[in-house]
Amino acid sequence: MKLLVVEDDTTTSTYIARGLREEGHAVDVVADGRDGLVQATTGQYDVLILDRMLPELDGLTLLKTLRGAGNATPVLLLTAMGAVEDRIDGLNAGADDYLVKPFAFGELSARVNALARRPQALEQETTLRAGDLTMDLISRRVTRAGQEIDLLPREFALLEHLLRRKGRVQTRTMLLEAVWDISFDPMTNVVETHVSRLRAKVDRPFGSELIQTVRGAGYRIQA
Amino acid sequence: MKARFAGLWRSMPLRLALLLVLLFATVSLLSLAASYAVTQRSFEQAIRADLAQDMAGFRAAPSAGAVASLVEAESRETDPNRLILSYIGPDGRIYGNGAIARDDEGYHIVSLGAARTEYTGVYLTLTDTLYGGLLTIARSRAEISALREVFVNILLVSLLPTVLIALSGGLILARRSKRHVEVIRHTLDRLTTGDLAARVQAGPRWSDDLSRIGEAVNQMARAQETSVAALRQVSLDIAHDLKTPIQRVSVHLDDLARAEAEGGDRAAPLDRARAELDGVGAIFQALLQLAQVESGDARAHFAPVDLAELCRTMAELFDPSAADLGKTLVCSLPDEPVTVAGDRTLIGQMLANLIENALRHSGEAGQVTIALKRIGNEVHLSVADDGPGIPAADRKRVLQRLTRLDRSRGTPGHGLGLALVDGVAKLHDARLELADNGPGLRVTVVFADQSP
Repeated sequence: MKLLVVEDDTTTSTYIARGLREEGHAVDVVADGRDGLVQATTGQYDVLILDRMLPELDGLTLLKTLRGAGNATPVLLLTAMGAVEDRIDGLNAGADDYLVKPFAFGELSARVNALARRPQALEQETTLRAGDLTMDLISRRVTRAGQEIDLLPREFALLEHLLRRKGRVQTRTMLLEAVWDISFDPMTNVVETHVSRLRAKVDRPFGSELIQTVRGAGYRIQA
Repeated sequence: MKARFAGLWRSMPLRLALLLVLLFATVSLLSLAASYAVTQRSFEQAIRADLAQDMAGFRAAPSAGAVASLVEAESRETDPNRLILSYIGPDGRIYGNGAIARDDEGYHIVSLGAARTEYTGVYLTLTDTLYGGLLTIARSRAEISALREVFVNILLVSLLPTVLIALSGGLILARRSKRHVEVIRHTLDRLTTGDLAARVQAGPRWSDDLSRIGEAVNQMARAQETSVAALRQVSLDIAHDLKTPIQRVSVHLDDLARAEAEGGDRAAPLDRARAELDGVGAIFQALLQLAQVESGDARAHFAPVDLAELCRTMAELFDPSAADLGKTLVCSLPDEPVTVAGDRTLIGQMLANLIENALRHSGEAGQVTIALKRIGNEVHLSVADDGPGIPAADRKRVLQRLTRLDRSRGTPGHGLGLALVDGVAKLHDARLELADNGPGLRVTVVFADQSP
């Protein structure tokens, strides 16, 4: 993917760019809002990673200008502020997702990947498969190696979310938002516990791991 | 001096006084003028009546000669300045104490003595023919002129002192209110230069409106002082609670440097440093959110929130964690929706904080109960544990930021959880009640019921 990072703090931008390049993306970095706007409108990018506070032109204004000009490139907004209001402001300005500093690189990477592939999530499927596991979305039955697995409604939703995004990392906060419709992060390791419950039913009896833990980021079902 | 006077000139009491003086003067002038006009008219009418009567008296005389002798007799006794009689007989002789002459300038009355002096003054005259002669009677209008003087005197005597008194009273009031305004201004000056303890001391002679303004200034200053004190307290708290983890990060980095140089375990100090920094981030995040909640901005986005659904979601979210801790999470929720106006995310965060808190403090194999009840037109949302509880004396204190009753390092949490619960409750105009659960703590948030 071709990505643009607009971030004035060079430590942060170098860190983001290096990580994303290691994942095989082409990354351009600019350090102020005006250059960011020029670069974003002239280059063809898959995702923009935009800091909210920038010199010359702040991130929100840049974003509004971009959207006003009909540019629909997915934007991940980075911010030091994390309150509900700021989140709403950011999303209203046209951001597709929002990440609060300080963040872990895994979280950023997972969200960038989710943004880039967003349109493909629309396809209608009735059966989801991963390895020897099958999920029937109509009868709401899950089987693995021919054996039926009994899941609670929320466990089913969690597994469905991971299956639909096979091969992509889903972070704790992404899972909280998608499965529980909760946009804050409780301090307790609630997601970890839910995932380990799910694993106890889906993985443990079969001796092989479908749901993988990605250190410092989240969970993934191997494609 | 000139500037001071100019300042007074623009002051409210003086302007009011001047306006009143002007009004009073106008009314006095008008009424005096009216009564002067009426009196003058009746004086004139009286003089004319006298003239007519005089004329009738002379007409009663039987002949021209008799008229002439009557005129002569009367004019000897009368003061020509008051009354002039002049009879031109049929033979052309003039009798009386004056002669009326006429030229281009009008009438002249001239004395008949050798001096032939002209009488000055204003007269009212009446002329008639008697027995072929011409009789003219002129009465002085001096009384009417005197009347005008009397009126001018009355005007001066009544009006001037009033104007002077009102004017000086206005000046005194203006100077006094200027002093009072000066006191308020001085207080505001001190407040803006940072002396937040400055207050307006209103005296007993202050006018009502100035006292009210003074009270409003004091109220503003008090609010400012409280919020600045709160801010200072938060800064101190932050400094205190953040310096410790930052200090520990620096220790972990030192360990890492030593491991680098001497060879050793690098992963452990690295993980510890990262965990400390995550904690620092969490404190910042919680403080920012608390500030945002306390500002009340979120009210603009309030929407109906189904508390029953939210409680179910949160209970379900925490259930496995509770089980892992060997504790049970019990729900007592109504089946139908229970709706309040609010921010779902913030109420959810509040619930999460309460549940985490209850799980942390409940006893071994303890039980945490989430209950939602409609009582009257209120909704009671409560989270209760069966732990040691909080002594009644400490209940208010735990709502403050960064308060942890157990300050030992082993306790998780940053002491902002209950402060946020308090903030979110206030934002929703909900009442927060901390009560004894016998044993344990029961926190109840009482919302106004908005269910249809």
